Parts: sequence; C-alpha cells; structure tokens
Amino acid sequence: MKKRMLQKMAVFGLITLMVGVMNLHSAQAQEKRDFFKVGVVTSLSGELVFGGTVTKRGYDMWADTVNQQGGIEIAGKKYKVTLVYADDQSTPATAAVAGERLITQEKVDFILGPYASGPTLALAPITEKYKMPHITGSAESPLIWKRKFKYTFGTIPSVNLTAQGIIQTLAQDVSPKPKTIGILGIDDPFSKFTAEAFKAASEKLGLKVLKYEIVPEGSDYTPAITSIKAVNPDIFAMGNHEKAAIEMMKIAKELRFNPKAFVQHYGMTTPDFRKGLGKDCEYVFGNAVWTPNMKHQSTILFKTTKEYADAFVAKFKTDPDYTEAGSTAAGIAFQEALRMIKATPPLTDAQKDALIGALEKLNIMTFYGQIKFATEGDSYHCNAGLQPVALQYQGGKTVEVGPGKLRTVAPKYPTPSWDKR
Amino acid sequence: MLIDGLLIGGLIIVVGIGFSLCFGVMHIVDFAVGEWVMLGAYTGFILVRYFGHDPMIYLPIVFLIFCALGWAIYPLIYRAVSGKRHNPVLMGLVFTFGLSILAKGGALSVWGYHIQSITTWLSGKSLALGPLTIPALRFSGFLFGILITLLLMLFLYKTRLGITIRATAQDREMANLLGTDVRKVGALVYSLYAGVTGMSGILIGALFSIHAAMGVKYCTMAFFVVVLAGMGYVPGVIIAGLILGLLQSFVGVYIGGRYNLLALFMVMYGVLLITPKGILRRGI
Repeated sequence: MKKRMLQKMAVFGLITLMVGVMNLHSAQAQEKRDFFKVGVVTSLSGELVFGGTVTKRGYDMWADTVNQQGGIEIAGKKYKVTLVYADDQSTPATAAVAGERLITQEKVDFILGPYASGPTLALAPITEKYKMPHITGSAESPLIWKRKFKYTFGTIPSVNLTAQGIIQTLAQDVSPKPKTIGILGIDDPFSKFTAEAFKAASEKLGLKVLKYEIVPEGSDYTPAITSIKAVNPDIFAMGNHEKAAIEMMKIAKELRFNPKAFVQHYGMTTPDFRKGLGKDCEYVFGNAVWTPNMKHQSTILFKTTKEYADAFVAKFKTDPDYTEAGSTAAGIAFQEALRMIKATPPLTDAQKDALIGALEKLNIMTFYGQIKFATEGDSYHCNAGLQPVALQYQGGKTVEVGPGKLRTVAPKYPTPSWDKR
Repeated sequence: MLIDGLLIGGLIIVVGIGFSLCFGVMHIVDFAVGEWVMLGAYTGFILVRYFGHDPMIYLPIVFLIFCALGWAIYPLIYRAVSGKRHNPVLMGLVFTFGLSILAKGGALSVWGYHIQSITTWLSGKSLALGPLTIPALRFSGFLFGILITLLLMLFLYKTRLGITIRATAQDREMANLLGTDVRKVGALVYSLYAGVTGMSGILIGALFSIHAAMGVKYCTMAFFVVVLAGMGYVPGVIIAGLILGLLQSFVGVYIGGRYNLLALFMVMYGVLLITPKGILRRGI
C-alpha cells in the first residue's frame, strides 16, 4: 500500500516537473520575441464601454502608426508593438484580475491603463506589486496621484487642475460676472472629484456655492436638478461622464432651468454629446487639455496636432477628443522612454525599473502637447506639461474661450433662456 | 417637488406594470425586464432613423413587434420553468438572467457603444401652471402609465380572457383541470408584458439616453415597485410607483440625492419584513 502511494507520488512529481520544464521552455521561447508586447486593460464591456472604446481607439492609433512606420527604433533596429487587450468589464475588481493576468500569463512588457479612475485605482496596486510600468491615457481622479504609486503614470492632468480652467474663465473673463454656482456630481471617483474641483475653484475665485449635490450613477437626476434650480445659481456645473452629461442637459431643458452658464467637463467634448443633444448643446461650457484645433508641433510620430486629427478621422471616421489623444500620447511616452534606455524586447525586471526612471526624466513635445510627469507633490507621476483650456459650444463646434491668452473666441455669456434659443 | 415625484412615479409604473403581471400570472421573475426596455428604445430609435416621423407614432408598432417577440420566446421560458425541474421559479430566474445578458451583449454587438437619443415633439416642452413647470414628455409618460394600467385592469377584470388569466394566476392546476390552456395563457401574458415594456422603452429613450447597458436600473426599479405593490397585484403598481417617485423626489431634495438608493432599499426591506404581501396586503 505504502509502495503504491510512493509510486503515485513519484509519477505526480514527474508530471509536475515535466509541466514545469515545458512552462520554462515556453517562457524562454517567449523571451526571444523581437516585438514589444503591450498589455491594455480597459472597459470593453459594461457601463463604461463607451469610454473604454475611446481609450482603445487612442491606443490602437499609437500602435498602428508605430507599426506602419516599421516599429520603435532602438539602437538602429525597429521593434513592432503588439497590443494585448484585457477587458475590465467596467469594474475595479475585474481590472485588477485582468492586469494580473496580463502580467503573469501574457508576460507583457508594460501596461496601458483603463478608461475610468475606479478601475485604474484597482489596477495600480497590481502593477506596483509586480513592478510593471503602467501609463493611463485617460484616468483623471487626483486620488490616483495622491497615493504616489511608483509604477503608475498618467498623461491627462488630474481633474482638480483641469476643472479650474472654465471656472476661472467664467469668474474673471465674462461680464456681468457670475456670483453664484450650483454643482451636481455623480458618485464615482472621476465625476465626484470633478464636482469637488468645481467647488474648490469656485470658492477660491469668490463664487458662492449655493448647492452642492452628489448623486448615484444611473438615478433619475430630476429631483437634484430641481433642488439646484430652486436656489437659482448663475452657473450650473456638472461632474459626470458622457451619458449623464446628455441626460442632465435634457432634464435641465425640461425643467426650464435657465442659469447663465451650463458647465460640464468630460462629457461635452464627446461627439455623442453633440449628436445626443443636437442644437441644445449650444452655449454649454466645458474643459479640456487638448482639442484638435491646437497648434502643437512635434518630431515624434505625428508632426502636428492637425496631422494626428486628420489621421484619426481617416481611420475612425470621427473627430478625436482629448481622451483619445491622451491615450495615444501614453504610447508615445513609453516609446520615447524605451528609446532613452535603449531597451529591447522582452524587458527584464531591471529594464522595467530603468523605464520608470526614464519616464520620470521624460520631457517631450508631442502632437498632444508637452509630456512631463511630476515627480513630487499631490500630482505625483501625472502629466504636468499641459494647461487646461475652457471650451464652449458655438455654432455646433467647441471653441476655446479661455482662460486668458488661451481664448480664441469670446465666450457667449449669459446663455439665453431655453425659450429664446 | 411633488410634481417631480409624481412624474418619476409615472415612469416607474410604466416599467413595473408588465413585470407585475408577468410575475402574478406566471410566477416568472423576469430579470430581462430592463433589456425589454432597452430593446424597445433601440427599436424606436431605428424606426425613427429609417422612416422618420415622431417616435410616439411608433408606440403601437413597437407594442406589436414586442408582443410577437414575447410570444416567440415564451415556449423557451415555458420549457425552462415546467417539466421535471425541481425549482421552477429559480429556473425562470436563471433563464431570464441569461436572456438579459444575451440581449445586452447582442445590443452592444449590433448597435455599438455609442449613446443614442431620440427626440419627440414633446421633448424639451413644458406646461406652465402658475409657478410650476411640468415637463410635457414626463407628463405624457405619467398619463401613459396610468392609461396602460387602467386598460390592463379593464382587460383583466371585464373580459372573459382576462378572467381566465386571473383564474390561472390564482390556481394554475385547477384552471388547467377546468380546460384552460395554461400554456397559451402564459404566452399571451408574456407577450403582453413584453409589448408594454418594449413600448415604454420609447418614452424612456426620449427622456434619457439609449445604450446597451441602460436596462439595469429599470430592472431594479421594477423589483422595487413589485415588492411594494405586492407581488403580482397589478392595481397596486400605480400606488407603489407613485410612492417610490415621491420618495425619490423628497429624499433627493431634503436629504440628498446620494441617499436615494439607501432610502429605496430601506423601504423595500421594511415592506418585506412588516408586510411581505405589499403595502396593500394583496400580493402573493
């Protein structure tokens, strides 16, 4: 009996050893690849699929353009990039699992991060655990940067910085100056911080916050908007994603809520906002760190902002917004950091650490503007190279209305009432 | 605020009415209720895109399309909840949960991730009653909810077929023994439910936005209303819908929108603990 048991254990041990050797062999086989394997965690299903697809387009734009040009040139040789996607299903827990799978099973060289801040906050500790370089081309919550993750970077400045642009424009550059504001935010890491950023900027600039409401995603926003309408603020500012951005404007119109300015953040820059609201998107103010009209010039991948915008329209038949541009810029940041350290695929652990050092030193000009990651403070590893620009829908297009010198067109203020449009 | 609450209640009635009927007669907890709303909204959107005209015109067409869809799907549901299976209610739940995932995934594949919107001639219009502003589209949704409930009640209480449906709901086996084709009755109820819920999608799509994942919140809403109304008690849906609408409105204004779901869940648990047959004590 004991002998049979020993035999079984020996067979089991042998099988385990063989499997181990095979795995080692396949791992070694993977070691010899001559392309960069890039993991992408983003929302390809679930509530955030719209935004997930926006980031996917940005990342695909980078990878396809790099490959069309033969790959990333390092020490005279070009290395192509292959994107390996993992769906976070719009939930933070799945983002963590998806990231772990990309790192441990797919053995990717580095990771391009999720669309939303919630999944990014869940993925960052995983990339930290495995010492895996990770850049998000979309997430904007300041919570990510306050936690000072060594291996996580972001190309879009955090929302507490960007949201100031439009409030500053309205508080200082329009006449008659608004005095009061009502703020409504959705209860998710990005939207809530957008609302908080609007509040902080308003208080700093002397606007009186009459009402500040945070509501759950997917609820009927009518009672909250009714309560803000009741206090009659000069500005109605909304922290939300694209879907709620459309719904809140529809409700405001139905309730005949006529503040002097409607302010949004991310949602208003998406083509769906314009299509969903039609002429009702007119006069809405918003924020961005990038628009296709900007005049940035670069020597990396796309020579000008216009070249990027044209290539994007040709590929996807729609205008790019700043999240798509930020996602493409995330790829560019990796590509330039790899060139700096002359790292070839597959990356070793030491090269991944060196890549972090290179990203910290990176200071480049791209079609998206300057990329320079902060190395200290509350915006640790977030791009500090961009300035927020205030936008407004005028004639069906977004135009830059401030702040200060960034203005290309004067803001239309006050917004005419719904009956007079 | 009171008006807001009543109008939100109207929408809840529209979604809850078919769900309640479906549960009351067939004892099927249809997890796909929100997806019927979503598919109805997309159907309205497509009809408007290809044929033009106001989406409201398509309400009866969407009703007929979804009645036919419900009728076609019912044999599958019947197969899942009948026969030798041990727990038919659970089987129905699992089957419709699968349907919901299929519908969501299918919608995402067919129509993509873009957020769509439909506009009716009532969109953005409002009625002014002194200092009050009543959104016209929401008001029509409220009227629609009340009208559909009244029509369903008339059908259930005043027609022979309606009485047969109620008899089947009360005692399925006895109705079967007395010669009622319970399978056909089930198919009729499910197609009615699918038709009414699909039709409500047009109103909801015009009020909010249309996307593949929009159904989840209406599923939650339908559960709330059915628990409060009393499971399967159709007339209770009007009162339950209005209470839930008012609750959302008052909590949103006086306590804060972030406590809305908490308040709704507390009410639901309270009702389940104190009066499990609903506030009118007429449910199953």
